[in-house]
Amino acid sequence: MEHVTVIPRQRLDGLELLGGPTKPLNPPFSTPLPLWLALLLKKQRRANISPPPWLSVEALTHILDFETDERTAEVFSPAPTMPRAIGMTPLEGDPYLSRDSLELSPPFMSDAATARAQEDALPYHWLELGHLLLTHAADDFDEPDTVRKLLRDLREVRMSKLRKGFKVLGPGAGIKMNGVGGMEVAEVRGFVVGMVDGLRKINRSREESRKEREIEERENGLGSSSYADEEDEDML
Amino acid sequence: MEEIIVRCSLPVRDISLSRDGEWAAVASDELDVKVVNTRDMTRIMHLREQCRPVKNVSFDVSGTMLAVSCSDGVVYMYSLSSEKLQLLKRVDGLIKTLETDAEASAMVAWHPDGRAFIAPTSTRDIQCVARNDWQRQKAFTGGHRADISAMRWSPNGALLASAGVDNSLCLWDTRTQRLIKTFEDVSNTIMAIDWHPTENMCSYTNKNGELFMRENFVPSPSSTLLKVALQPSPMNNEPLSEVSGNAQRRPGDGLKSNGVLRSVEDQYLDDLLGPDAMSEDDGGFIEDDDGAGYAEVPNGHGKRAAGGMTSLPAKRHQAYSSWQPRIHEAFQPGSTPWRGNRRYLCLNLTGFVWTVNQETHHTITVEFYDRHEHRDFHFTDPYKYDKACLNEKGTLFSCPPSTQSDQRAMLYYRPHETWTTRMDWKTQLPAGETIVSMSLSDSCIVATTSAGYVRIFSLFGVPLKVHRQKSTPAVTCASFRDYVLTVGNGSVGGDGTTRLLYSIENIRRDEIYQNEDILALPDGAELRSVFFGDKGDPCIYDTHGVLLVLLHWRTPGQAKWVPLLDTKMLERLASGRKDETYWPVAVANNKFHCIILKGGEEYPYFPRPLLTDFEFSIPVSALPKTSEEDEDKELVHLQGLEEQYVRATLQHSLQLDLVENTNASSAQKAEVPMMEREVDKVLLQLLATECREGEERGMKALEIASLMRDRSGKMLEAAGKIAARFQRDILGEKIYQLAERRLVGLVDDEEI
Repeated sequence: MEHVTVIPRQRLDGLELLGGPTKPLNPPFSTPLPLWLALLLKKQRRANISPPPWLSVEALTHILDFETDERTAEVFSPAPTMPRAIGMTPLEGDPYLSRDSLELSPPFMSDAATARAQEDALPYHWLELGHLLLTHAADDFDEPDTVRKLLRDLREVRMSKLRKGFKVLGPGAGIKMNGVGGMEVAEVRGFVVGMVDGLRKINRSREESRKEREIEERENGLGSSSYADEEDEDML
Repeated sequence: MEEIIVRCSLPVRDISLSRDGEWAAVASDELDVKVVNTRDMTRIMHLREQCRPVKNVSFDVSGTMLAVSCSDGVVYMYSLSSEKLQLLKRVDGLIKTLETDAEASAMVAWHPDGRAFIAPTSTRDIQCVARNDWQRQKAFTGGHRADISAMRWSPNGALLASAGVDNSLCLWDTRTQRLIKTFEDVSNTIMAIDWHPTENMCSYTNKNGELFMRENFVPSPSSTLLKVALQPSPMNNEPLSEVSGNAQRRPGDGLKSNGVLRSVEDQYLDDLLGPDAMSEDDGGFIEDDDGAGYAEVPNGHGKRAAGGMTSLPAKRHQAYSSWQPRIHEAFQPGSTPWRGNRRYLCLNLTGFVWTVNQETHHTITVEFYDRHEHRDFHFTDPYKYDKACLNEKGTLFSCPPSTQSDQRAMLYYRPHETWTTRMDWKTQLPAGETIVSMSLSDSCIVATTSAGYVRIFSLFGVPLKVHRQKSTPAVTCASFRDYVLTVGNGSVGGDGTTRLLYSIENIRRDEIYQNEDILALPDGAELRSVFFGDKGDPCIYDTHGVLLVLLHWRTPGQAKWVPLLDTKMLERLASGRKDETYWPVAVANNKFHCIILKGGEEYPYFPRPLLTDFEFSIPVSALPKTSEEDEDKELVHLQGLEEQYVRATLQHSLQLDLVENTNASSAQKAEVPMMEREVDKVLLQLLATECREGEERGMKALEIASLMRDRSGKMLEAAGKIAARFQRDILGEKIYQLAERRLVGLVDDEEI
């Protein structure tokens, strides 16, 4: 669940939500709340949303510099590091179901957009969070226009990197998409899936002949002479 | 003549050399100003923003700013740094529209301290404008009846000489903007003036083509002003503009002027600002070598003692006045100094109070964080309150006495809401007393005054107690419910600064808990803020960035200052890229709430910055360097556990004190065993880490086990199980023995 840090403007009790209870709101202390609740309170002017550290001009500029650097043309900016796996079992309770010993990975990391988020990494839902916060809580930012511009630039750079990577896609080859966000994956999903499927269909005949040869070899043993050559050809 | 550096096609009107002599700015009847390098005339910059010919140019003391007075009445401010020039500001409405050959001047004279400049206005006044925000500051008025033709600051900025087209020559005092002398014997309009860098001499040229040099230019009582160090420019709201850069001299026997006639204001300000407040010079000590009275503080009328009277006694006090102990100056916790025309009077977790100076009166605004509970309000304040405290129940203000309106120091309390009509109350203090610091709690109001009294009032104005503080001059005070903490200067320590002493007393029970105990500050640190945490434990924050809490303060003689957080060791500063200091606001919910001040700022300013909070982290061990090695990760983990243990024991003992000494609620009482269990849990984790290390670490593991506080045996049993899991049988046996001994009740700290 995506939490954001909220600075309340009035006292409110904690709520018992399905995802877990929220802490009571006491101004001026900031509390993490689910995103939907934070946006609702913001609209009712009962709270202000504090943008996460990675959604600031300096942090985004830093990430953008990393992305546009020529040396990192193949790589996306890294995702936030996962919290350290808790290896030891607690004293009481069933360790399997106990919350403390769960290892969360994106997109379920709990601190992606709170004030404790990592500053130099874009979390999984960065585009969505950035867009929502800028639309509904623009006055809580120092420079909303600059942030908007930086987000747009980042999106374009990363999209272009993805598209460049598609050229080498095919059976057996892939591109490293570590650090790509959810929205970006969704954008290219249709195209990539279709493309890979099409390639599969084109290569179906070759695939089938390869499979027949493999069955033959298994029956005949590994004595086939052309085993190594044909494997190499298929690998392209 | 060496060479021609630049030619203009139209008459040259003014030249200015930068301080280092590198650049010369040339103003002529041409529209642009040429700035040419004196050594290499091919390096030339053109300032083209003007639309009309330029009358005067003037470099400031640092050589980076150039003020161009144009004949269209606008002063163009250019910033020249490393050959890149940029128009910073057009200051309009300041100077008169003059032709370039007019006798009257439109020149801008920069004050030697670089913070402000003056210009002659069309109303024949000399207006001072600040450099940072281009706001008008003080003005020298009433000296000239005709247009001003020349102006010049003395080399130290303490005096100003100005001349007018009606043959007038005036001498002004910077600090008070008062006219010291008008010279009657000038025969022709003076076109330019300059001061001798060291002597009391001034030279000027007049319209007749003559150059005069006047000796003893500054008349004798004020001539001492020439010798002092750099003076501040005449800005508004400058506490320093009230006190000249002289030493704070204790009044000697024969010096009546210093002893009796000093006004309350000077006394108050001298108490407020010790020698530490002098920013520009070296602590503000003037060596009174020949007894000419350099180190005198002028009395309230701005006059210094006549020279003759004080020459003899001054020599006798020479040795005495050459060393002064440095005292800690008083402050109001949660307030900031003036910047521009605004300042915060109180910034805390409830809200903030700020005031805007509008010359004749102030406007005070109080805003709350909890908008639902309280409504923000503002009001005009004719008394010019300079201190405020804010809490959930009301706001407390205080103003200093003023000599002009014969006003005494006053306290004003305004509750937020009442069930009858709102009952504000004001109370005046006896004449001559000013309030040094004050504090507001749920049940009482405390004010420490300049007469050394601590005055305690109830919330609605009934005076409860008065007592004289044992350690004066007072520094600050804080309060929480019925507990009052006062801090004052005590005796001098080894490094020449006074030690700070504090006392804590309970007003309702009339008990003193700590009596003039030492407030522990390291060498060179000063107190930044004092406040009570939300659980009622006093905390201090010093200028080294350490937050400390007072442990066992309810027992006399047992109090200890324990560091909770060292902000210089925070992780966010580890990379070295950030340059931050923190301004303390409060301690609540086991977190330290503060305001981040970036890059050298000392105080928060407008717009209101957001609060950030940091978890406590007792500075137990060095900052672990983040690295990917597994061993280092283990080490980091171990250090974290150790810090957790120290913190858990601290919190446990704080809670225990609270529960034992007050009527604690059941929730608070229930927290004590929980905290004890926390301590033991951390110890178990430490034990596990130790056991993992290896067979030879048995001794430390046993020691950790013996640190367990739990007396019911369960924790030690768990410890034994951990030892068994790591197959440390000998250790396990020893732990069981220890457990049995504890159960039986034998205390055996010696035997391990």
